Amino acid sequence: MTEAQEVQVSEAQIAVHWREEGYYYPPAKFIGQANASDPAIFERFSEKNFPECFREYADLLTWDRYWHTTLDSSNPPFWKWFAGGRLNACYNCVDRHLAASANKAAIIWVPEPEEAGSAAITYQELYRRVNEFAALLRDFCGLTTGDRVTLHMPMSVELPVAMLACARLGVIHSQVFGGFSGAACGTRIADSGSRVLITMDGYYRSGELLDHKVKADEALAVAREQGQDVDKVLVFRRHPSRYASQTPMTEGRDFFVDEVLPDYRGKLVEPVSMPAEAPLFIMYSSGTTGRPKGAQHSTGGYLSYVTGTCKYYLDIHPEDTYWCMADIGWITGHSYIVYGPLACGTTTVIYEGTPNYPDAGRPWRIAERLGVNIFHTSPTSIRMLRKAGPDEPAKYGYHFKSMTTVGEPIEPEVWRWYYDSVGKGEAIITDTWWLTETGGFIGSTLPALHKMKPGSCGPGALGVYPVIYDEAGNVIEPGSGKAGNICMRNPWPGIMQTIWGDDERFVQVYYAKYNKDRSSKDWRDWPFLCGDGAVQAADGYIRILGRIDDVINVAGHRLGTKELESAALTVPEVAEAAAVPVVDELRGRVVEMYVSLKPGVSGGKEIEDKVCRTIETEIGKIARPKNIWIVPDMPKTRSGKIMRRVIAATSNFTDVGDITTLANPEIVESIRRQVQGAKAARGEVPRELTEQEREEIKTFGQAE
Amino acid sequence: MTRQYLAGELSVRLARLQAVAVDEAAVRAVTCLRHEAETQPTTALGGVAARALDLADDLCWTSLGHGDMAAFSRLSAISADLYEFGICADLLHGS
Repeated sequence: MTEAQEVQVSEAQIAVHWREEGYYYPPAKFIGQANASDPAIFERFSEKNFPECFREYADLLTWDRYWHTTLDSSNPPFWKWFAGGRLNACYNCVDRHLAASANKAAIIWVPEPEEAGSAAITYQELYRRVNEFAALLRDFCGLTTGDRVTLHMPMSVELPVAMLACARLGVIHSQVFGGFSGAACGTRIADSGSRVLITMDGYYRSGELLDHKVKADEALAVAREQGQDVDKVLVFRRHPSRYASQTPMTEGRDFFVDEVLPDYRGKLVEPVSMPAEAPLFIMYSSGTTGRPKGAQHSTGGYLSYVTGTCKYYLDIHPEDTYWCMADIGWITGHSYIVYGPLACGTTTVIYEGTPNYPDAGRPWRIAERLGVNIFHTSPTSIRMLRKAGPDEPAKYGYHFKSMTTVGEPIEPEVWRWYYDSVGKGEAIITDTWWLTETGGFIGSTLPALHKMKPGSCGPGALGVYPVIYDEAGNVIEPGSGKAGNICMRNPWPGIMQTIWGDDERFVQVYYAKYNKDRSSKDWRDWPFLCGDGAVQAADGYIRILGRIDDVINVAGHRLGTKELESAALTVPEVAEAAAVPVVDELRGRVVEMYVSLKPGVSGGKEIEDKVCRTIETEIGKIARPKNIWIVPDMPKTRSGKIMRRVIAATSNFTDVGDITTLANPEIVESIRRQVQGAKAARGEVPRELTEQEREEIKTFGQAE
Repeated sequence: MTRQYLAGELSVRLARLQAVAVDEAAVRAVTCLRHEAETQPTTALGGVAARALDLADDLCWTSLGHGDMAAFSRLSAISADLYEFGICADLLHGS
């Protein structure tokens, strides 16, 4: 590899070489019925109308008392939305629909065993169940407004019932994903200070009835170790009169809900009128320190935001049947299975099991049978369904008017399958971007008013104004082709209030990086750091590149290295290719490429140049590796997987770690002598890496 | 992004591996990996997935070495599901 003087680029720049895709347009049939089809909405939510523009969302709710201040920014960044207002979230999701929709399905629950058949819960039935359970929580458990309850529940009707019962009382709920361990649940019980745990004895996943109650005992043990005792464990039974767990119930602590609930049959509980800024729930997400952080979400601000975004972005109408395939244990489920859709008075589908059980056609059979017309899932699920059954959607007679994707960037080829096969070429795709911390969508196209662009989430959501900064805090302009850290310049009603019990951590994690003046009361001085890398095209559409750590440190391996390797593999002589990041004094990180050749092919400079030219042609000059190493073989596991961490460590002159499980451990020393010897001869031996850099290289090596 | 659910899905698959792990050392190893999946930042999930796959591979080979076809069958199914999930979730690179 010649010592070219061309500009080498950082990982972040490699990440933005993807070409911009062409547009897809919403069909007239969709536009004609859309909730947001008048472009005047953009003016209403423009910055000059901020924050009052969000009255439009708040006015979708029923208030006990109207607010006096739309945004109280007197104590940034602890924003208070709709200050002075009072409401009840449960009332907004249930009670207020009774007059017009008592006998309409609020929830359709689909059990995993296909032969079992689904169950429709009307708004009337939901009202009764929520009231009875609220009475149980208040009178049997002694819970009052402000208390915390942890729920560790699978996807069942009882979960939204429990959440809404808590909301009815002003009790703050914290739902832990049902698949998480008891230990994870216990940590969250302790952090939230919950005295009651609500769980289920078992649930179905991939055809098996799993013992879930066993985790409750583990959770309580962990919570006790961390100083929190739980008074009561309420256990719902998956099958009436049958206990699905091997774990015995603990006398005086564990109670079957079905044995206690009859005492509260028919009871009605007045919904507690809560201040708009009262916490509604805590949702935990992983932190950088290994300690999960609890995003605390408000009542009025959060509920108005998810209701408004449901109406305009999911285009939910009361007469729709909407199915979000996420789990209620994540923010997507809270916002867009329970609170948002029910506040909109629609029918929301809850499915117990895995998407491909018993086969890849299952989701489409559910959609067909229930008449689902709005679908919502993640790119990972889309990829899995595409792999398992690319032709399955065509076999079923459902018709979606719109589909949403969430959770991570979706590559254009997968987007197109989603559009052509799942959506049958007739459904809008709303590619959304947001976080646990944001409460609802913050980047998305408005389905009837924006063109769709595969791989891009579109512009900032209504009333939310994104900006991309470089590390120094300079604005990166749209269309520059450069990536940076995406922030929101302004607060919005769905934003988290704080990290539960840790205001200082909240400020440090989300605001410290770009806030220049902690004493400022001007919201403009408090951009919210989202933690993702992004690039904004000239049309204003945002492409999310992944977490900042990935983009800056290892984007090459996550985004660029796949393409680099794919490009290298198109060279006929190349058998295998592996790209790794290398710490570089001038550029931060650069890429080195390792290739092994096919039998009978001998390597040399001409092969190196060929690989280099291919990468430049396929991807671009900016993607050119600093070094290309032709090696006799790659270090591999016994199952044939390349151990990239060993190669990364070699290039960075760090410890290669445990190589005892390799199928060919002898190759490691051979490669080390070759690569490190050549680099030493060229004067490319790096300085000793910092602990953080060593950890990063070690993590990269594991992160494939 | 809301990639938190990937931690959950990985944890669920590790739970399946935990349930069929053949000895105490393997159970401990899987428990540690599950703890990491549930507590570490989402940027670390790829590493956890890769190590989980390596461990599942090892357990498959061990069960084959012992002639335990039932265990091998269960473990290879779990390993395959873990691999598919890792690829689809962009936590693992295909090879």
